[in-house]
Amino acid sequence: MTARPNRKFDPMTLRRTVLEMAYAGSTGHIAPAFSIIEIVAVLYRSHLNLGDGSPKSPGRDYLILSKGHGIMAQYACMRELGWLSSEDLDRYFSDGSMLKGLSDAHIPGVETTSGSMGHGLSVGVGLAWAAKRRRTGQRCFVIVGDGEMNEGPIWEAFLFAGHWGLSNLTVIVDNNGLQAMGRVEEVLRLGSVAEKLRAFGFETREVNGHDEAALDVALQQLDKLDSSRPRAIVAKTVKGYGISFMHDNNIWHYTRLTPATYRAAVTELDGKKKSAAALS
Amino acid sequence: MRDAFSAALIKIAQQDERVLLLTGDHGYALFDEIRRLLPDRYLNVGVAEQNMVGVAAGLAKAGLRPILYALSAFVPIRVLEQIKLDICYEELPVVMIGDGAGFVYGALGASHHCTEDISALRGIPKARILSPADAHEMTRAMELAFSAERPVYIRIGKCDIGAVHEGPIKYDWGELIEMHSGDGGLGFIATGSMVAAALKEALRWEGSSVWSAPSLKPLNAKQVIAICRNHRAIITLEEHSIYGGLGAAIAEISSTYAPCWIGRIGVQDRFARYAGSYQYLRSEHGLDEAGVSRQVDELVERIGDASLCVSKSCRTGILVPETK
Repeated sequence: MTARPNRKFDPMTLRRTVLEMAYAGSTGHIAPAFSIIEIVAVLYRSHLNLGDGSPKSPGRDYLILSKGHGIMAQYACMRELGWLSSEDLDRYFSDGSMLKGLSDAHIPGVETTSGSMGHGLSVGVGLAWAAKRRRTGQRCFVIVGDGEMNEGPIWEAFLFAGHWGLSNLTVIVDNNGLQAMGRVEEVLRLGSVAEKLRAFGFETREVNGHDEAALDVALQQLDKLDSSRPRAIVAKTVKGYGISFMHDNNIWHYTRLTPATYRAAVTELDGKKKSAAALS
Repeated sequence: MRDAFSAALIKIAQQDERVLLLTGDHGYALFDEIRRLLPDRYLNVGVAEQNMVGVAAGLAKAGLRPILYALSAFVPIRVLEQIKLDICYEELPVVMIGDGAGFVYGALGASHHCTEDISALRGIPKARILSPADAHEMTRAMELAFSAERPVYIRIGKCDIGAVHEGPIKYDWGELIEMHSGDGGLGFIATGSMVAAALKEALRWEGSSVWSAPSLKPLNAKQVIAICRNHRAIITLEEHSIYGGLGAAIAEISSTYAPCWIGRIGVQDRFARYAGSYQYLRSEHGLDEAGVSRQVDELVERIGDASLCVSKSCRTGILVPETK
């Protein structure tokens, strides 16, 4: 991974923002946010057409976080876009705050309401279908969790997307191998996500979901493909990626930061940022 | 009533290019006409109702005007959470048609019976509910639903039992339609298939009045209060659970603003036991002519024991909201 400090949507800056939000709000769900940081960073930086740049811009590409538990990662990007203020983030999870702990369509820039799993993909499929029907050129990117793939509607939506040849739909599976109560393979064996997606008619790529360059290339390749099939990226990720003591550790789906763990996490991130800056 | 639905659907689809019909592989023969006239406005999403509701939400967000068609046992019951989160939370303009409500699919059993759709949806904020009694109410229901630009569920129950209105009828959101007026004794309020039953039962009670309630949510509270004040007792009739449906809605308003005797005739807290025709199941649940008469007799007898409670003097001092 080549890190360039001070560029937009820098993963380490986004992780820092997530940590600050989680600490201020005394919330969990840090690990599911960390596993999609590079995915949302790459999408917002280089792939999403944001139209006039406002969250409700007509003609925008849609980004749907179907696994709503990672919402802090998206909030962090929306802060960089100026769609949310630092004050908004500081008040995350607090009484009377607009920002809830799961994705919520009442917030401009968040397209669907999730938290209950298996909703966002169907809505995204509907948006993609409408865009195709009306030839608006809009694309729809949906981030789905591998744990979320326990849900039946995900597979209904895959069938629908394949049947209707929704080539403007890109499903990105956050394949971190963990769900709320354990390993995906132990809770409800999923097997090869890529094989399943191909069987459902998707043009599918498998990449390291924390490698921004690889994500970039996969997204570009899929976009350029002359194919009437829907697109999918299986992003191999690590829940809690970026902080050593959160790495692949499901406790950080739930655990709140203490002053000590907050300091340790921030120190580790700052150290990485400095060494990245020294290298560049 | 299904013909009225189909005709209204085609008319609306011809007038508004945003309209799109979605079905979860239901409605055999019902959509022949729209498929012939407007083939690209018909979308069979397959036997996948949860996805269908999400897709409809996406279509509505993108500016289209989807109409969902399914059996009421599936929309809203199977997909209640999708309706809540994907449609109602954002108050999207989606019209949902639930066909075959009540015991229409008599012999098919519990999977196809639906006597809980009204109560299930009533608690979801922003959901509107229409329950037409005949083709005329259905035609108006479609007009109301499409002009609302918000989530609306239209409940279609038994639809081949004849019209209760002589011709086209206009009613507004929440309005109860006075089918015939009475002298302030018994008042019958019914919805859907039970309006015809109420009209028949009313013939046994001189001076009774009958109201049809095609709009169950919203319900015009002012009108309900006036009806409760002006009758000695109200009897509600619905082919739906006595919990959470029309009777409950009337009782909720009455108990706060204009207490009066209310007897709720509907489906008791149980499933149908046996296979059988529609008529058989209506009788099993006491909703056929004899069953309704028996229940009304019992209720009237009970009121006789406590007639003071419905005297005018008992009703003074009740808080009623200011009329606007």
